[in-house]
Amino acid sequence: MSFDVDEDILQDFLVEAGEILEQLQEQLVDLENNPEDKDLLNAIFRGYHTVKGGAGFLSLTELVEICHGAENVFDVMRNGQRSLTPELMDTILQATDVVVEMFEKVKMREPLEPADATLVEVLHKLSNPEVPGENIFADVESAAPVAEPEPEVIEETFELEDDDDTGSPSELIEEITEDEFEALLDELHGTGSAPGAKAAPAPSAAPAASGNEDITDDEFEALLDELHGKGQFGGESAASAPPQPTAPAAAATTDSDEISDDEFEALLDQLHGAGKGPGADAPAEKPAEKPRVKVENPAPVAAAPEKKPAAPAPKPEPQAAKPAPAPVAKPAEPAAKKDEKKAAAAAPQAETTVRVDTRRLDQIMNMVGELVLVRNRLLSLGISVNDESMSKAIANLDVVTGDLQGAVMQTRMQPIKKVFGRFPRVVRDLARSLKKEITLELEGEETDLDKNLVEALADPLVHLVRNSVDHGIEMPDERQASGKARMGTVKLSASQEGDHILLVIEDDGKGMDPEKLKDIAISRGVLDADAAARMSDVEAFNLIFAPGFSTKTEISDISGRGVGMDVVKTKINQLNGSINIDSQLGRGTRLEIKVPLTLAILPTLMIVVGKQTFALPLGAVSEIINMDIKKTNTVDGQLTMIVRSKAIPLFFLGEWLIRGPKNIERDKGHVVVVQMGTKQVGFVVDALIGQEEVVIKPLDALLQGTPGMAGATITSDGGIALILDIPSLLKRYARK
Amino acid sequence: MSDDRNNNAGKGDDQVLQWVTYRLGDETYGINVMQVQEVLRYSEIAPVPGAPDYVLGIINLRGNVVTVIDTRARFGLPPEEVTDNTRVVIIESDEQVVGILVDSVAEVVYLKSSEIDSAPNVGTEESAKFIQGVSNRDGELLILVDLNKLLSDDEWDELSSL
Repeated sequence: MSFDVDEDILQDFLVEAGEILEQLQEQLVDLENNPEDKDLLNAIFRGYHTVKGGAGFLSLTELVEICHGAENVFDVMRNGQRSLTPELMDTILQATDVVVEMFEKVKMREPLEPADATLVEVLHKLSNPEVPGENIFADVESAAPVAEPEPEVIEETFELEDDDDTGSPSELIEEITEDEFEALLDELHGTGSAPGAKAAPAPSAAPAASGNEDITDDEFEALLDELHGKGQFGGESAASAPPQPTAPAAAATTDSDEISDDEFEALLDQLHGAGKGPGADAPAEKPAEKPRVKVENPAPVAAAPEKKPAAPAPKPEPQAAKPAPAPVAKPAEPAAKKDEKKAAAAAPQAETTVRVDTRRLDQIMNMVGELVLVRNRLLSLGISVNDESMSKAIANLDVVTGDLQGAVMQTRMQPIKKVFGRFPRVVRDLARSLKKEITLELEGEETDLDKNLVEALADPLVHLVRNSVDHGIEMPDERQASGKARMGTVKLSASQEGDHILLVIEDDGKGMDPEKLKDIAISRGVLDADAAARMSDVEAFNLIFAPGFSTKTEISDISGRGVGMDVVKTKINQLNGSINIDSQLGRGTRLEIKVPLTLAILPTLMIVVGKQTFALPLGAVSEIINMDIKKTNTVDGQLTMIVRSKAIPLFFLGEWLIRGPKNIERDKGHVVVVQMGTKQVGFVVDALIGQEEVVIKPLDALLQGTPGMAGATITSDGGIALILDIPSLLKRYARK
Repeated sequence: MSDDRNNNAGKGDDQVLQWVTYRLGDETYGINVMQVQEVLRYSEIAPVPGAPDYVLGIINLRGNVVTVIDTRARFGLPPEEVTDNTRVVIIESDEQVVGILVDSVAEVVYLKSSEIDSAPNVGTEESAKFIQGVSNRDGELLILVDLNKLLSDDEWDELSSL
């Protein structure tokens, strides 16, 4: 296998197919629940088809083979010739896994190995409907009306010499090569789809059918596609068929001998797009005339219908001619978007999207960040200058910058569906292998959050969901015995709460026993018995996040290595998020994850230590109180302070953050109380500046990993402030 | 670039390089001009707690955070007061932008490669590590600094082990 094809094309394929495969996983599980859903079957079929097309173009024959197999199975299924059985589903999922595996290999630029022969064999068997001959014949027949207009389309655009032969399309078809045939089919897809609805009743089956005699399965699929497409777009005929059938369409079609399937797919999509966009209300006859005027050979169009055996033909004919020029309307635009359109064939809004490199978005985000800083600076300058027109202008800038910031952030937002989408499959597979009965409920899939967050959350969420399935939900019999429904439920929901996103993973399983958790913690040396006795239930639940803690005694490959929850918590903390757990024995467990909407902008509390400004992430700050030396006590060498009748350790940040001689006035300053999980810590600072939203600038390589420092930021007065990373700050300095 | 080289080759296999020279104590040092981005006046440098002592801190360079290192500490020289001549030279090394604090910046000199000698045993052990070569111009010794070594791997290791 060679990768000497254009890297760009390969990249496009990887992005496109990657998305499709992700969708497929979800759709397949959906399908299992709604085996009769025609749209779903079609969507899945199209998904495989598109991947196959792309793979074919890149000569990834191994991938083509397996996609082709799966595609065929769905083809028979959507024609109602085979119904979905669990065995079939397993095979399909298995095939999908193989496809994903191969896809990963393509990504790594590794050579592919052919798929397991038996799997391909099974797929082949599955793709045979019970009564093949009859059905196929029927397909051919129904395909015929669509096939007929072909010659005209070709002639008009191609200007073939044998114009006069148009009357017998079958002959023409016989002459053309397979490639051309594909071209025709694709065109028909368009032609058929736009005017189709009214013309649908199959006219003149015979001639076309004879011509189609030796077409392959693939071509059938194309035909089938057309028929399907027809119904969808029929109503909205391309009323605004453009007055000038200009170059692009003609060019595309004239090249047909050389261009590949892929390009035809693109063309096909253009046709779809063209048919879709323009107003649906214009009368069908009107557009039908237009192209006739434009095309160079109107005569054969008119002539053709007469020769046809079937009656209703005339009308569809001229109409069919029209869409050929129609795509000219906007050929370039849809081409770029072909994948989106394919993914959601019936969703017109897909046309308005553009693929943008995330690095570019990051750049824009950075620049907007700068702008926000400049604005902040101007704002603080504006306050000192008493000039009305100046402050007006600044106020304006303030608003516009705010809007811009919001808008740019919006571009980076992605629905959490992207992560949730993989869960149905994960849960299904797990439940099957554990022999549990589980339904997964997803809620708030449309909640948007920052792209980076979506990616960063994926792994922790998978881990938590697996945990719920593995540890949370009981075996069906056990559930029944305790008076619950056999079917367990895992609920995954997302919602926006102010500037935070709340993710909840809830199960109705056996819940956690705080006493058992404490016992384990003690036996693992995480905790001593006295501390355990004083621990509240919620604190006990939080033990599962302690490093080296696992409630499962044996290690399964699903969960139970005892590193997971620790890692999950660390990861969430890195995102400036928090995780809370609550559980009721016998009733279930509820995990709440809170993460900020975006990672790029951080609300902070600006503090002064010595002469330097620092920023504390505001999310961690729970309250600010005045330092009062009288209320402090020294416990075991550690200064503590009573806050709300709880003793919290107190640290002078000056001791940690100031270089050189330290003369800290112990009885002055403010105490910033920060919350870390269930613990509270007080930091004594010299002064407070206030709340400020800052853009995090990572420290460069020389300073990266400096303990206690999360990054730096430019303050509104143009100075620089270090952003403190509270957990690592404590880890570095607080140990004695 | 290649043109230059060809021209130089024509003149007798002698590549001309430009060096920005700066003073540090009594010595004059040179850095390859291709690695110098800009020269700034001294501005407030925010110290970073927990960073190694030769890292002075960070500055705001038009919205970017740039680390400034103290070449004096790096070369084992005693610290010096900041004066009007003190400059921060922003250099780019290994795709990394770093500022170095120097006593003053002098000029840009042209040196043929034939004029550069390998480093004798100048100065302390500490500073010798970062020296690429020396050149004798008008009776004055110009020490050419290898910036990549100045920010060498040992330092990364040292930092990451903290």
